[in-house]
Amino acid sequence: MAAQCRFMGPHGPFYSRRRKNAVVFTTPVDNKQRGFQVKAVLSEQGRVELGTGNWADRLRLGSLADDGLSYKEKFIVRCYEVGINKTATVETIANLLQEVGCNHAQSVGFSTDGFATTTTMRKLHLIWVTARMHIEIYKYPAWSDVVEIETWCQSEGKIGTRRDWILKDYSNGQVIGRATSKWVMMNQDTRRLQKVSDDVRNEYLVFCPKKLRLAFPEDNNSSLKKISKLGDPAQYSRLGLMPRRADLDMNQHVNNVAYIGWVLESMPQDIIDTHELQTITLDYRRECQRDDLVDSLTNTEPNEETEVISGLQGTNGSATATGDKQDYCQFLHLLRLSGDGSEINRGRTEWRKKPAR
Amino acid sequence: MVAAAATSAFFVAASSNPDSSTKTNKVGSGSASLGGIKSKSASPGGLQVKANAQAPAKINGTTVGYTTPMESLITEDDVPSSPPPRTFINQLPDWSMLLAAITTIFLAAEKQWMMLDWKPRRSDMLIDPFGIGRIVQDGLVFRQNFSIRSYEIGADRTASIETLMNHLQETALNHVKGAGLLGDGFGSTPEMCKKNLIWVVTRMQVVVDRYPTWGDVVQVDTWVSGSGKNGMRRDWLVRDCKTGEILTRASSVWVMMNKFTRRLSKIPEEVRGEIGPYFMNSDPVVEEDSRKLPKLDDNTADYVRRGLAPRWSDLDVNQHVNNVKYIGWILESAPLPILETHELASMTLEYRRECGRDSVLQSLTAVSGAGIGNLGNSGRAECQHLLRLEDGAEIVRGRTEWRPKYANNFGTLGQIPAESA
Repeated sequence: MAAQCRFMGPHGPFYSRRRKNAVVFTTPVDNKQRGFQVKAVLSEQGRVELGTGNWADRLRLGSLADDGLSYKEKFIVRCYEVGINKTATVETIANLLQEVGCNHAQSVGFSTDGFATTTTMRKLHLIWVTARMHIEIYKYPAWSDVVEIETWCQSEGKIGTRRDWILKDYSNGQVIGRATSKWVMMNQDTRRLQKVSDDVRNEYLVFCPKKLRLAFPEDNNSSLKKISKLGDPAQYSRLGLMPRRADLDMNQHVNNVAYIGWVLESMPQDIIDTHELQTITLDYRRECQRDDLVDSLTNTEPNEETEVISGLQGTNGSATATGDKQDYCQFLHLLRLSGDGSEINRGRTEWRKKPAR
Repeated sequence: MVAAAATSAFFVAASSNPDSSTKTNKVGSGSASLGGIKSKSASPGGLQVKANAQAPAKINGTTVGYTTPMESLITEDDVPSSPPPRTFINQLPDWSMLLAAITTIFLAAEKQWMMLDWKPRRSDMLIDPFGIGRIVQDGLVFRQNFSIRSYEIGADRTASIETLMNHLQETALNHVKGAGLLGDGFGSTPEMCKKNLIWVVTRMQVVVDRYPTWGDVVQVDTWVSGSGKNGMRRDWLVRDCKTGEILTRASSVWVMMNKFTRRLSKIPEEVRGEIGPYFMNSDPVVEEDSRKLPKLDDNTADYVRRGLAPRWSDLDVNQHVNNVKYIGWILESAPLPILETHELASMTLEYRRECGRDSVLQSLTAVSGAGIGNLGNSGRAECQHLLRLEDGAEIVRGRTEWRPKYANNFGTLGQIPAESA
């Protein structure tokens, strides 16, 4: 089923040696996988022969880096991805992060069924699930802006793997956001977590940077912050939220990005009107099924760390010192099943005053 | 009648206008794909040398050079040229003389080239690497490509109908912008703004022949025509970039309304002057379905879903719900046996009213014809829909037609149940 072949990225044969043993899926389209056809082969003369490449691959605006250890892709922001602030919504950003992660996995030969699993994982019915997602956005892109996202992954302790992203404004190279996520392995059938075995680790580690590379290298950055459970009763809430068909991914699970929308549902209108989301951290605890109803709860978080936040804002070189306390605010969030109150995920958000436009 | 929000959703969603005046949206400025406005006299097909000569696209407000040949060098037969020099605009006359001679040589040599992001037969797609779109065909048709992203795939692994509708909306918006007719950011031309007039969509028909999947690239063409004396029709044609196969056809009808009085208006002469030149006046790409759409109520509906509420991300700049979201809600009450085994083949929608953040909606569905029990036998199914507020005010009426899934595929990816669950 899987054929071995060399294939070329859009930028030439730089990693053809690395690709010698790559397994590239050429199965015909079936339920689980999208056919991944050979893009091109190296002929004897060392020239590129255009193969029956997957159309989107050849037009794909993304590619592996020269060292093959990270993946970059450009996206243009479409009109329907823009929200009430005239800029891309955080869900759009999260979708793009997910897309570039998928494309990275696909470009290195992992499965394209949405699970991004290695061969061994599939044999053992193991899948990756998100444990934590942390996104920081310093400047939201507007309609028809082009964003370049770079992503890479590396292992994280014994049980997990991490995927990091850096977002840049393509026109000027300015960093407009960063994100990191932690994933753990779960058995698809039993739904129980599992340690990452060495076979699996070796399968994907070859595509990860050898030296530790973090999107958030600074000490005590907020991607590491523990999120406390918010107290009862919540200051703000929105109850009985329902998954829509559009929230389901290709594997019929509520996709990660839908949770972000739900978390924001219980944000008070006056903050939404005056502030924009700078940071969101979500810890995923439990899956939500198609027929579940969800409650979204929000509390303001005690504001001891205004200075830390202002410091992080400094990426654009325009930190507002400590500023007015009203310029920044933070909230704690909880999503729970309406039925039995069990926690689906908990989150933390930081908001900054909207820039004058 | 649906108010401005519907227009805004279809014509211009958010915003960029007032804010990005420093960027690309000034009328006639060098934004991507603009050159075409003046190209009405360009020879059809052929070497559209001047017509489509464009300034390098502006991305994020700054100029970004393309690394592929400008479309002005490419004919309908997609004759390739050498790797693009950036000052080629000055060299056009030279190239045009040499083109015929070097064509065959290049076609043969192309295979030897290392530049993988070059595909002569579909060069128009590479001209537009970011999918901004451009005006084609004598300035009347706007064309834009979209690659289907992973998160646009629905539960059945194909692009959802919402994704397709979003693409239609994006191209409509970019067409208006590209034609320099973005008066206020809501699809109103400058003359319309002066008179407080807005476009309002009243009707939408979509026929999907095949749904694209993740990684497919679709090409969306859109154009406008007159509709009756005082209306406008916008048509779309969606093709698979690779095969040229038609995937989707859609047609929408718009009327002009005064945004304050909410009364219908004739198209004033000044506005006709602005938009008339863009009317293609072709036949509708989808034959009009003139069957009356009945109004459902709790008694006539087979399925009802209540408590549908807009989320923040459903709202446009005016905090009105984007049109495309209605379709999702309509499908929320579609019966599961149909959704599981069938795919949406066509849809007709009549827009009545808009809704906002605090609306709570109900979605009603009635299955017409044979009914669920006979699905397996007849294959196709038809449903009537109503989306309304809790107080009964109608938002949208619709009709959908369904065909068994995988009817277009060769594989046996699923079984059509002989009888319903």
